[in-house]
Amino acid sequence: MTVVEARNLVKDYTTNGLTVPALRGISLSFEQGEFAAIAGPSGSGKSTFLHLVGCLDVPSSGEIRIEGTDVSTLSRKELAFLRRQKIGFIFQAYNLIPVLTALENVSFPLTLLGVDRKEAKRMAEEALAAVGLEGMGNRRPKEMSGGQQQRVAIARALVKRPSLMLADEPTANLDSKTGAEILELMLSLNRTLGTTFLFSTHDRMVMEYARRLVHLRDGIVEGEERKGEGQ
Amino acid sequence: MRPARLEREAKSSRHAFLKEIVSIAFRNLSRHRVKTVITTIGVAVSVALYIFMDAWLLGMNLDSRRNIVSYEIGAAKIQSQAYFEKKEDLPMYESFSNWKPIARALESAGYAAAPRMTFTGTLYSRSGSAPIVFHGVDPERERRVLRYMNYLEAGRFPKEGTYEIALGLLAAEKLKLDIPRKLTEEELTRLVEETARTPEEEAFIRGLYARQEPVFFLRQDVPRTELDRFWDLLVASGRNDARISTVIDIKEESGKIRHVYQVMEAKVVGIVNSPNPKTNGNVAFMPLDVLSGEEGLLLEDQVTEILVRAAGAKDSDLPGPKESPEAIEEALRRVGFSLPSSLRVYGWEEYVKDYIVAARGDNVTTRVMILLLFILSFLGIANTMLMAILERTKEIGMMRALGMTDGELVLSFMIEAGMIGLMGGIVGMILGSLANIPMVNHGIDYSAMAKQLSGDFGYRITALFRSAWNPGTIIGSGIVATLISALLSVPPTLRALKMPVTESLRFE
Ligand SMILES: Nc1ncnc2c1ncn2[C@@H]1O[C@H](COP(=O)(O)OP(=O)(O)OP(=O)(O)O)[C@@H](O)[C@H]1O
Ligand SMILES: [Mg+2]
Repeated sequence: MTVVEARNLVKDYTTNGLTVPALRGISLSFEQGEFAAIAGPSGSGKSTFLHLVGCLDVPSSGEIRIEGTDVSTLSRKELAFLRRQKIGFIFQAYNLIPVLTALENVSFPLTLLGVDRKEAKRMAEEALAAVGLEGMGNRRPKEMSGGQQQRVAIARALVKRPSLMLADEPTANLDSKTGAEILELMLSLNRTLGTTFLFSTHDRMVMEYARRLVHLRDGIVEGEERKGEGQ
Repeated sequence: MRPARLEREAKSSRHAFLKEIVSIAFRNLSRHRVKTVITTIGVAVSVALYIFMDAWLLGMNLDSRRNIVSYEIGAAKIQSQAYFEKKEDLPMYESFSNWKPIARALESAGYAAAPRMTFTGTLYSRSGSAPIVFHGVDPERERRVLRYMNYLEAGRFPKEGTYEIALGLLAAEKLKLDIPRKLTEEELTRLVEETARTPEEEAFIRGLYARQEPVFFLRQDVPRTELDRFWDLLVASGRNDARISTVIDIKEESGKIRHVYQVMEAKVVGIVNSPNPKTNGNVAFMPLDVLSGEEGLLLEDQVTEILVRAAGAKDSDLPGPKESPEAIEEALRRVGFSLPSSLRVYGWEEYVKDYIVAARGDNVTTRVMILLLFILSFLGIANTMLMAILERTKEIGMMRALGMTDGELVLSFMIEAGMIGLMGGIVGMILGSLANIPMVNHGIDYSAMAKQLSGDFGYRITALFRSAWNPGTIIGSGIVATLISALLSVPPTLRALKMPVTESLRFE
């Protein structure tokens, strides 16, 4: 099944009357279970592309379909429900809710989905265990290292079993050893759960992990490589 | 597959979601403890002040109403329509006669009725003169309607068939007809000479005063019995003899008004100082019966009004439904009495427009003042929430990325701000109520200030401001504080939601 289908995506930013083209016509689609990286130098439009796919912003023109639904037909509220149900985000800056513990951060998306408290807690504990943070559930974000926080963020994105995981430079704030661990974790989740991963990076080491690598430059697809088992 | 389906699923567990955002709001408030506490105190102070001032106003109004009804007017007056229309001029020529059958009919219908002849004149004492409003009253009946005669500063209430006067305290002080509180040595000597008839009386009088250079003060600890004896000596000495000079207005058949000058010799036997300042100013009460005939006001049984109150009503009672003009007219009809066509029953409110205007004005000014204070404290909340929302712009972006809707975010900030309002409201309710306790039970004595105001500023209270409980305001102000606080978070939240999610996330 096609999870993401982007057609002729264009995004211009206008600041102080100056229009900066961030994306200049990108057409890409991603199938269920892909583990794909968007690579490119700074300013090439990686974040912009992921944000548009994640329905956090709207394109200047072009079309995005998530599991076949044209997102431009959805209301603000329907978009929020789409994000809630189908998309998990992982950010470079982790963005955990500072007043909540790790466990509460992870169970928050489940609460939004209406899962009852007990069940949400159980699922959140499971997700924390899956990212290797067993027993750390009671810590607040500021009591954890960057790598641990990013694991919590992954658990939070993962816990609701989204169709699509979007990660914008998930390892950029981490040292290379921790970064590698995070990628191993993402890869194993992709293998065991079949979750589609789409992440951006400009780090060579990170690109090595991707089974599909899309190169962006100046807002257009410069090239694409696929490797590994048959994808 | 449209995600609309998901909306329904999510609604099934609204409860867990609400609990979660309340918990987040609570933690955010305790994370910024200092700011939360300051904002809460601001709200608490306004709420407390509002409750306090409202209780004060209500207390003043209740006391004023009681004092008007118990000491000044009764529940209603029967007057001729012509008198009522000109009542500010006290037009004695618009009086009516034959009051006795009316009073008896009222009494048999379960009311107390007190006839009055009100006229103006000048009262001369040895030391001066003052313009006075005189009320000719039937002492027996007056006592059943009004209670000011229970508050005599000195002496007693006039007896029927005498030219005796009970005078308001302020007029008595001015005419030097009261018990002197402060005398020079010379004045004291003259007073003793004029008053004491025996050496024993002289010693008695001197004993009431304490020397405090350069003057003599009436001792604070003189018992009432000795004051009464002193007062009797003062009255007996002729010091309290006075002269009433008045102009009698008589309406002729033709409608022309004839003026007759009249002088009456009288004696001040009592001084009135009741809780209602209107009885303590330039007012005098004297028996009605001596005013008839040649020696008096050339009256044949005329009065200007009959005061009406339910029989046996207590001082502390406000007029009940039985005491409305309609009810009184109805009761008269039931006992088979019909009022002469020129007469009407008027409710007490018709006679105290000055009080009603003062009360309404104070109500408005006080409430506006407190409203300004409210606005200030709510600016505090608005500012706190604005800062909180600005500070958490990134967090808001994150929550939106997680799929929180605009409505849910607005609600969660409303809950957070509402919690400040609720805490401030509760603390304010407690503080305001605590401050009310002594104000309701004891009040504030302001007699010194009242004298400067000549006791006349609309409210009918003399020496004590007393608050009254108003549960509606206490609970209402807490609720209003909560709601306003909650609403104040809406504009900054909506502003934050206008930003694209990506902008919020980039915000530092
Ligand atoms: N909110 C914005 N307003 C104006 N210009 C923007 C905005 N966001 C991105 N841009 C511009 O759009 C272009 C693409 O930016 P984008 O953030 O997508 O690049 P990136 O590939 O993610 O870069 P980096 O590796 O530095 O994160 C850049 O030229 C950037 O300056
Ligand atoms: Mg980027």
